[in-house]
Amino acid sequence: MQSDQTPSGDAPDDTASHLDLIVEMTAAFGQSHDVRATLRLGLERIAERVGSEAASLFLIDPATGGLLCHACVGAVDISGLRLAPGTGIIGRAVDSNTAQLVRDTKGDSDFAGVVDDATGFATRSILCAPLAVRTEKLGAIELINKKGGGAFTRADSRLLQALASSSALALYNARLVAAMAEQGALARELTLASEIQRAMLPGPQPADSPVHGINLAARGVSGDFYEIMPLAGGRVAFAIGDVSGKGMNASLLMAKTASLFRCLAKREDGPGRLLEAIDSELHETGLAGMFVTMVAGIFDPAAGRVVLANAGHEPPLVRSAKGGFRAIEDGSPPLGIAPDLLAGGVPECVVDLDGGALYLFTDGLTEARAANGGMLGNDGVRGLLDAFAGMPAADRLDAVVRSLDGVGSLRDDATLLVVEDRRGAADGTFERRYPARPETLADIRASVSRAARELGCDDATASDVVLAVDEACQNVIRHAYKGGEGDVVVHVGREDDLLVIRLMDFAPPSDVAKIRPRRLDDVRPGGLGTHLMRSVMDRVDFLPPPAGIGNLLQMVKRMGEP
Amino acid sequence: MNLDSREIDGAVVVTLAGEVDLSHSPALRKSLMDLMLARRDVAVDLAGVAYIDSSGIAGLVEAYQMSRKNGTRFVLAAISDPVKRVLQLARLDRVFAIAETVEAALKG
Repeated sequence: MQSDQTPSGDAPDDTASHLDLIVEMTAAFGQSHDVRATLRLGLERIAERVGSEAASLFLIDPATGGLLCHACVGAVDISGLRLAPGTGIIGRAVDSNTAQLVRDTKGDSDFAGVVDDATGFATRSILCAPLAVRTEKLGAIELINKKGGGAFTRADSRLLQALASSSALALYNARLVAAMAEQGALARELTLASEIQRAMLPGPQPADSPVHGINLAARGVSGDFYEIMPLAGGRVAFAIGDVSGKGMNASLLMAKTASLFRCLAKREDGPGRLLEAIDSELHETGLAGMFVTMVAGIFDPAAGRVVLANAGHEPPLVRSAKGGFRAIEDGSPPLGIAPDLLAGGVPECVVDLDGGALYLFTDGLTEARAANGGMLGNDGVRGLLDAFAGMPAADRLDAVVRSLDGVGSLRDDATLLVVEDRRGAADGTFERRYPARPETLADIRASVSRAARELGCDDATASDVVLAVDEACQNVIRHAYKGGEGDVVVHVGREDDLLVIRLMDFAPPSDVAKIRPRRLDDVRPGGLGTHLMRSVMDRVDFLPPPAGIGNLLQMVKRMGEP
Repeated sequence: MNLDSREIDGAVVVTLAGEVDLSHSPALRKSLMDLMLARRDVAVDLAGVAYIDSSGIAGLVEAYQMSRKNGTRFVLAAISDPVKRVLQLARLDRVFAIAETVEAALKG
């Protein structure tokens, strides 16, 4: 080729004449999902167009910083060949991020001759262009020996640089796409892991179970767990725990801890030994700085007694039958801190519930936002437990977590467990949750009628009470939910000589019922139903809605009066 | 709730039985309104009503008001104790025309 001998004569339109190849390759990169294969094909076209005996594409190996041959054309297959950083002409091209045109390798001291030594190939001239996007170096394309025996020209160099630029961009994009796909796959994996994890949590317990739990999931994979496991003789083993950290490792550790609990609880060595056994199991598998806070316990409903062991978890709270809280502070460091730290077992303590309830929770609950936007804290948690104390256990847990503000933006999972001593509950107190619909009114009347009689009402009083409850439920259906879906919790109990009825709904609080107790006739004066309620009951009041959720109506009837 | 109506001596006797609450009162109201729009004399036999609430009473009140406007007769007959209790509580026992029996209601 004439131009080989006259480097100064390479016309600007030499590049332009190769534009078709650049366009063709750019289009091929754009369409291809297999960038490596496209690069190999591109390399063949480049070698053919520039007219070189051999061509190779090297990419920087992120692990070593050296170059690795990913594709080559020519007599000798050097794919897989590794070059140390800075080796040869190609190393110079990459390091300086400029094209290298070496017309005679003998005159260039950087020429390494690695391939020639290994293969017997004779490299005379080299044209090498770096693959880079802005400052990010990816590798280089190297062409060896101009066909026909001449040297590469500046025009060849410009063409190669143009092709290398478009190749580099394609590679860069492909890597971005791959990284994004990997992130997507990881996100899907995390979603799956969190679904599996939640599926591992115990489902809703039967209403008569003395132990109930609830887990309100923050986004992503969590480290919270709880377990409820019936044992022989009506006793129940339970546990709540929180694994340090977030993400997949925390979730796997949580799964391991939860299954260890299920296995070991059957041995019935007591919760202290149980936690010690879990601790030593955890150390055997190596934790890499992770730990678990956990409370395990066994409840005997016949005695109303809990045996508890606490390894570094938030102190459980006992709410006595009369209200009032007591924290159970006994405990040891968390599980997984150091081998043998818990040898001899986590100290156990015995708690007599005396008709009260034991609450266990994770810091996701205390650190959740309250309705006023501040952190709930211990007082907030106690306030919520007080507010919903009148509800059935499962509904109560539900109501507590529902009253957390910004459930979707929970920073952490909130998990809450309750253990109830129900020995005193056989006093005829009635409480049930119903869908607030006209069709359920007959059921509600029948249950309230039965409960009122069992609590000592005569027939006439019971009929009046039934009427008042029915009218109040109608108000909930028609005015609170305004025809929409919702539940109403009906409570009928006796407090000294008073029959006390409480109706709780979960509709937005009506303005008048919000701040302080008010007489019902402030709400809807002249309503016939309201008038009937007031006529048959001694007191009808809206109580302040617990934690701003729903409406709480209390009706009181002095027993034995006609 | 059971609702049955039949013609006797040119009047319509509506017999209500069972429990009349929010799930049935719309049906009761519609039956009574149809009769009022047809300007019929109506006697409602309430002997078999075990329970009635304010929504059921409201249906009776609405019929009563229309009958007054139309100049037709609307009589409650043979009211059961639960109905009597609610009418008393609502102070409506002296508003409605109330007959001891259906026969008396038809004669009146």
